[in-house]
Amino acid sequence: MATEIKLASGNAAAAARPFIEVKGLTAAYDSKIVVREVSFSVAAGEHLSLLGPSGCGKSTTLRCIAGLETPVEGEIVIDSEVVFSSHRRINVPTEKRKLSMVFQSYAIWPHMTVFENVAYGLRTQGVREDEVRSEALRALQMVGMVELAQSSATALSGGQQQRVALARSYACRPKAILLDEPLSNLDARLRSRMREEMRDLQHQFRLSTIYVTHDQEEAMAMSDRVIVMRDGRIEQEGPPLEIYDHPQSRFVADFIGAANIVSGHVRPHGAGQPVILDVEGTAIECAPRAALPRAHADGSHMLAIRAVYAELRRDAVPELANHWPATIERRILLGDLVTYAVRWPGGNLRVHGFPNDLFEEGSRVHLHVPSVRAILVDAD
Amino acid sequence: MSVAASGAATPLAPPRHAARRVRAGVWLPLVFLAAGLGYPLLLLIANAFNVGDAQALPPTEFGIANFAELLNHLDWIGNTLLVSISATILAMAIGIVLAWILYRTTVPGQRVFEVLIAIPYPLGPLVGALAWSALGSPQEGLLNQLYASLTGVQEPLFNIYSVPGIIFVMAIFEAPVAVLMIGAAMQHMDSALEESSTVFGAGKLRTAFRVTLPLMLPAILSAALFLFTSMMGAFAIPTMLGTNARFYVATTAIYVMFQSYPPNYPLAAAIGVVLVVITALAVWASARVLKKRTHAIIFGRNYRPRRMNMRGWTLLLLAFECAYVLVSLVLPLGVLLLASLQKSGGLSWMVSNWTLSNFHYVLIDFPTTRQAIGNSLLLGVGTGTLGVAVATTIAWMVHRSQSPGRRLLEQATMLPQAFPRLIFAFGFMWMVMSLPIHLYGTLYSVLLAYIIVFLPLAYRGMSGVVVQIDRSLEEAARISGARWGRMMRTVTLPLLRAGLLANWVLLFMISVREVSASLFLSGPGTQVLGPAIFSFWDSGGLPRVSALAVVQAVIILIALVVVRRLARAKPGR
Ligand SMILES: Nc1ncnc2c1ncn2[C@@H]1O[C@H](COP(=O)(O)OP(=O)(O)OP(=O)(O)O)[C@@H](O)[C@H]1O
Ligand SMILES: [Mg+2]
Repeated sequence: MATEIKLASGNAAAAARPFIEVKGLTAAYDSKIVVREVSFSVAAGEHLSLLGPSGCGKSTTLRCIAGLETPVEGEIVIDSEVVFSSHRRINVPTEKRKLSMVFQSYAIWPHMTVFENVAYGLRTQGVREDEVRSEALRALQMVGMVELAQSSATALSGGQQQRVALARSYACRPKAILLDEPLSNLDARLRSRMREEMRDLQHQFRLSTIYVTHDQEEAMAMSDRVIVMRDGRIEQEGPPLEIYDHPQSRFVADFIGAANIVSGHVRPHGAGQPVILDVEGTAIECAPRAALPRAHADGSHMLAIRAVYAELRRDAVPELANHWPATIERRILLGDLVTYAVRWPGGNLRVHGFPNDLFEEGSRVHLHVPSVRAILVDAD
Repeated sequence: MSVAASGAATPLAPPRHAARRVRAGVWLPLVFLAAGLGYPLLLLIANAFNVGDAQALPPTEFGIANFAELLNHLDWIGNTLLVSISATILAMAIGIVLAWILYRTTVPGQRVFEVLIAIPYPLGPLVGALAWSALGSPQEGLLNQLYASLTGVQEPLFNIYSVPGIIFVMAIFEAPVAVLMIGAAMQHMDSALEESSTVFGAGKLRTAFRVTLPLMLPAILSAALFLFTSMMGAFAIPTMLGTNARFYVATTAIYVMFQSYPPNYPLAAAIGVVLVVITALAVWASARVLKKRTHAIIFGRNYRPRRMNMRGWTLLLLAFECAYVLVSLVLPLGVLLLASLQKSGGLSWMVSNWTLSNFHYVLIDFPTTRQAIGNSLLLGVGTGTLGVAVATTIAWMVHRSQSPGRRLLEQATMLPQAFPRLIFAFGFMWMVMSLPIHLYGTLYSVLLAYIIVFLPLAYRGMSGVVVQIDRSLEEAARISGARWGRMMRTVTLPLLRAGLLANWVLLFMISVREVSASLFLSGPGTQVLGPAIFSFWDSGGLPRVSALAVVQAVIILIALVVVRRLARAKPGR
């Protein structure tokens, strides 16, 4: 295992070079196209998440990379080896791609013991039996399952199966790990613990990882980069914080985090001047952008304001831009957060606050939206 | 972790290759079924309209005279419907109650009864009819004699050679199928569905009728359909119990016409066509009903149904199970064993009147039965192995491939179920006679016929097994670097093993005991057990035919025990 780490860090040095490359991938079931011309790449050691609503084609994309589905079009390169290419007629079978995968259902073989499950990949590679033993046990140790090595795989709880699946995929020395919603069958508490454990494993091995999820928290917490998919296409791609702070479209703003979408008309402005959006007669100064986003059919533009980035104050600070009097209409305590329904001149807004400084329902406050947090987005 | 060591990728062009393999997997069985099922049907229809030379194959003159003639014999069709419908209803009632006791109540002995209740089906109607004629014939019947000696009343207690007798014996020997099919659905039904009904204020009875029954309907309907078709084609029971009373059903009439000289093939074919039309209508009707209600959701995962404690009723329900086992298993096997030990015709309890010579005769001395036993074993193994292989392949194609023909394939596979087996065998016989290759009078023709008629059963069993194996279990093996062969050996087959064995033994048993499908196909040199017992019953005398039936029962029981052992044993790694 020590050699792996060395090799992996060697790869990390050449991080600019894409380790997995997907070009123009199109996939279909029967004749229904579910993935359309998707292209992206994963650097060596990078953790990439595919995020999107149910049915948007994340799993299909992942399964194409694994070789479990045959794409209609496109090319897939893993570690400089073309494993699929539609026009060069290359399709390396799954078992020769040297990947590993964690399935949503875990796919723990019920007729084998925990140890045999983990050792399976090593045995198929023809590794010597004593080495199989030590490596499999080491992988089990990593996930804290050594004591259960000899127990039957059917006698495991969901969380334990999850760990075995992880150990199995790390044990076989893969080029990259693919994970398809590995945490979705766990309860919330266990999910957040496993999330951290997986993050640790990821830091330990620096294997290239593609992680499919529809849970934005998971994607945010675990990845170096996130790809948001929608209807079989890539909607936006970037580091988690960039996607969070600068959603490109209404869809992304809606899907990730809690955002308010406000629509209004852009006031005429000169080059280099800040863009002002007119919402029901109220002017909002927006974050600068190279060009105006796509407008709605009726000519209006969409503005996304994250609920956490809007600020509520007791006292007015008149020198601030985007500053209005407002009324707290409702207050919902969520535990770590408080959500306020706020009435302001432009309509209604949802604003997050913290329980340490509560505003009463019906109280009059001041709302401030920093102009860099007022993001114009593509309308649908 | 090898760094690009494998270098150039293998050029494979598998999108096309894989597709071709998949397509072959779908079209080959389709063609096999179309030929093996369609051609016999075509010949049957052609013969039914044959008004020229009855022996001509293919016929030259066509007309509807045979069907007009049938109008004089509507009682045959009427009798068939009467017997089949009544026996189906009775068997379903027994089956539903037994399945419910086994899987939804806490009545003790579930494991034992689960096994005992299943056995009468593989024992089969031939053994059943034989045994019950020895038990219930008005004069010599064991039960009637017992009754007379206990009460002194000369009137027999009952007469098994009657319509109710036929219905009763048919029902008890087919009921295990209903238990199996309905029991499977009952075991998988999520009781949360029932519980939520009671939560919303519905009483037990309302829940049973508004929730449980509708959810069970698909299983109940398909079991009823299966029973109805197989009873429409039932042969052994109506012949052995009905011919004395001159009670004819369609199959016995066909057999008589077949045996008469010269044989009246066209009329027999016309009866066959009418039967096929009736069963096809039944299939169509139930498909229509089922289409309106698809309950894919009722199958929960890893789910244990909640069992009801029946308190005071427990004893009564237990008694019902015992009574069923008594009439369908203990009494029949007991009377056959007793009869097989007799030196002469009567049923004597005196050990001094007993002998093993009947067994010696059927096993060793008499070449026909000896050969029949050997042939039946061969056929059982052949049908089991090939049938399971074909059924598994088809189940795989239907459930695992994306191939466009897969729904069609599934329907085609289930199609033989719409043919009463005896009718199918009748058409099949003509097909093998008309083929240029020499197939008629060989075991291969019987084997082929068995595979086709038992395919629906085998497919049903295997697809139940295949769908339970999550496909990601196999995909995980592929990802771990296993090639197809290794994946099959280490993951797929071990997971399928219990299911393969169970279905193999089912096919083995029902082929060993089959009579309807082999009656017209076996002949001199290709004797098999079912028809041999049947012709022995005509000519051999009760002790010898009983001995042969006992031999058949023993073969079936041994197979059952051995396979249960094998299936339970942990696979060695
Ligand atoms: N085996 C299949 N046959 C036919 N259509 C399929 C199959 N698998 C998926 N689809 C369809 O392809 C589309 C994309 O499916 P995919 O499983 O990639 O979605 P996903 O993004 O992973 O969604 P989820 O979050 O629900 O898993 C869906 O519309 C789905 O209905
Ligand atoms: Mg998915």
